[in-house]
Amino acid sequence: MKARHALAWPLLAVALSLALTALLILAAGKNPLLAYAALAHGALGSWDRIGVGLNKTTPYLLTGVGVALCFRAKVINIGGEGQIALGGLAATATALALPDAPTVVLPILALAAGALAGAAWAALAAAIRLHRRVHEVLVTLLLNFVGVLVVSEALQGALGEPGAGFPQSPLLSRPAWLPRLAGASDLHIGILVALAAVIAGHVLLWRTPFGFRLRVLGASEPAAAYAGISPARTLLGVMVLSGALAGLAGGVEVLGVHYRLIEGFSHGFGFNAVAIALLAGLNPIAILPAGLFFGFLETGALAMQRAVGVPSPLVSVIQGLTMVFILSAMGIATLRRRV
Amino acid sequence: MEAVTELIAAAIRIATPLLFAALGGILSERAGVFAVGLEGMMLTGAFAGVVVTYALGSAGAGVLASALGGAALGGVVAVATARFYADQMVTGLAVNILALGLTSFLLRGLFGRGEAPTIRVATLSAVPIPILGDVPGLGPLLFRQPVLTYVGLAMVVGIFVFLRRTRAGLTLRAVGENPVAAFAGGADPVRIRQLAVIAGGALAGVGGAVLSLQQVGTFTDGMTSGRGYLALAAIIVGRWAPGGALVGCLLFGAADALQLRVQGLRLPVSSYVVQMLPYVVSLAVLAGMGRGAKLPAAIGTPFVR
Repeated sequence: MKARHALAWPLLAVALSLALTALLILAAGKNPLLAYAALAHGALGSWDRIGVGLNKTTPYLLTGVGVALCFRAKVINIGGEGQIALGGLAATATALALPDAPTVVLPILALAAGALAGAAWAALAAAIRLHRRVHEVLVTLLLNFVGVLVVSEALQGALGEPGAGFPQSPLLSRPAWLPRLAGASDLHIGILVALAAVIAGHVLLWRTPFGFRLRVLGASEPAAAYAGISPARTLLGVMVLSGALAGLAGGVEVLGVHYRLIEGFSHGFGFNAVAIALLAGLNPIAILPAGLFFGFLETGALAMQRAVGVPSPLVSVIQGLTMVFILSAMGIATLRRRV
Repeated sequence: MEAVTELIAAAIRIATPLLFAALGGILSERAGVFAVGLEGMMLTGAFAGVVVTYALGSAGAGVLASALGGAALGGVVAVATARFYADQMVTGLAVNILALGLTSFLLRGLFGRGEAPTIRVATLSAVPIPILGDVPGLGPLLFRQPVLTYVGLAMVVGIFVFLRRTRAGLTLRAVGENPVAAFAGGADPVRIRQLAVIAGGALAGVGGAVLSLQQVGTFTDGMTSGRGYLALAAIIVGRWAPGGALVGCLLFGAADALQLRVQGLRLPVSSYVVQMLPYVVSLAVLAGMGRGAKLPAAIGTPFVR
């Protein structure tokens, strides 16, 4: 019963939003079936396209797992974007500082720096939350803006490429680049890291004492306190963990896709990760299909725009509608269980 | 002196769109619904205002459309959160994504062929108030504003009176503090929350029109660029009171105006550091308030009959 519902709601929500957006496509004077076919072709039409889609999905998976763990404990961390931005910044700074480091070591060091920076940024939010009692939604939201500006500031100054005409860092040295998985396609090994994170998130949530503490805290703070679980330490722990994952995502995006830090590279990633975690019903394993849905939707959209002239922002409409429907379904479902 | 008046003028200009959104957010949050969707409501309003002004040639119709557009998105939030008990904050995020996609899509789908067209409309002109506008010094600054700026200031007073002195306003606050008690007192919390969110959406929509119709004269993708979130912070800085929110908006307006002028001044810090000001200031204020930041007690919790 429960498992069937867990699958039925997201599928229904996706179908409903695809149907509604089909009306929009009609209103714009295009054929929705052709548009969706072009979208599917652009997303999955060749190994190359699949590689691009998987690369797009990678940061979503990493960040989404962290968000899901946070939300399980009722810690509403929406600071993914800032944590990703700082992760990318730290990874870039590390890679630029050590141009002569060997091939295998350099990406690992850079990614570790990215994870550390993301964790630190999330820890700052957790500290403000715990010591000053400001709701974590507001703290993480405001720190997003600051984090993105910190990246702009760095690109303006120490990390910027002089005379580039666009706020970006110099190209990273080749040893820092993440290796590609399959010769010709752009697919890099980040997707394997993301898959590992998904599995680790699942094990952590369902098979470890920390995961148990997260779930108890999320179910009832008084019950958690009564059971000897420290809400403060659990909050700090899960924030740091999700910050590290988001920071890692930022590092992977820089080292695997752009090979340099670019202003605005993290734009929208954090909120999309929240959407994905919710779409997955906060289940780490289910983040895989949800993340793939978002990633492929986005790569397919650009192809759809080129092929049939349906504007690509349509994807955000599908994403937003899907979220609203799922949230409503989840709200009703939680209520039924309570009654 | 001239630099200072110029700075104040810029602060007022930047604060006005924020002010409308913040006032709308106050209605929503005082009724117990987080107003994370302000950004999307502003964007929808900015879009609807420009499109209708362009189509009908009437700025008045455009402003009305902006209110309706914001209210429509507010309606989505209202139904999802009050009727289906959807998580308020994440629903807000969802409609922000939705509005960004929808406005960008419609701009291209209805007016261009895949490319984003530029729709130009005349900006609302300044309406000087006789006598007051001629007072030397502050006169031209405060009393030669476009019409929506006056409306915004009047709204501050109007919403203050509404929340403090009218039965409807008191009921709205009761629903935000203790919906069960309000229900026992004969109010319908679900309906009141929905109305509050929709009215708040309308105000935020007009905030978008201030941006697109009064200041820029066109619509561009995502032109609100975070102003809705800033309005959210202004509400908290102003402790959920209209007057306080006005101060918060002016504070952010001043910080932003300062940032625009710092670039020419060769200060030791870059413009990005100054751009952080509004966010850091609101974080500092929030942290300073600590437990004093008294959210409406029932905010975020669904009311179940």
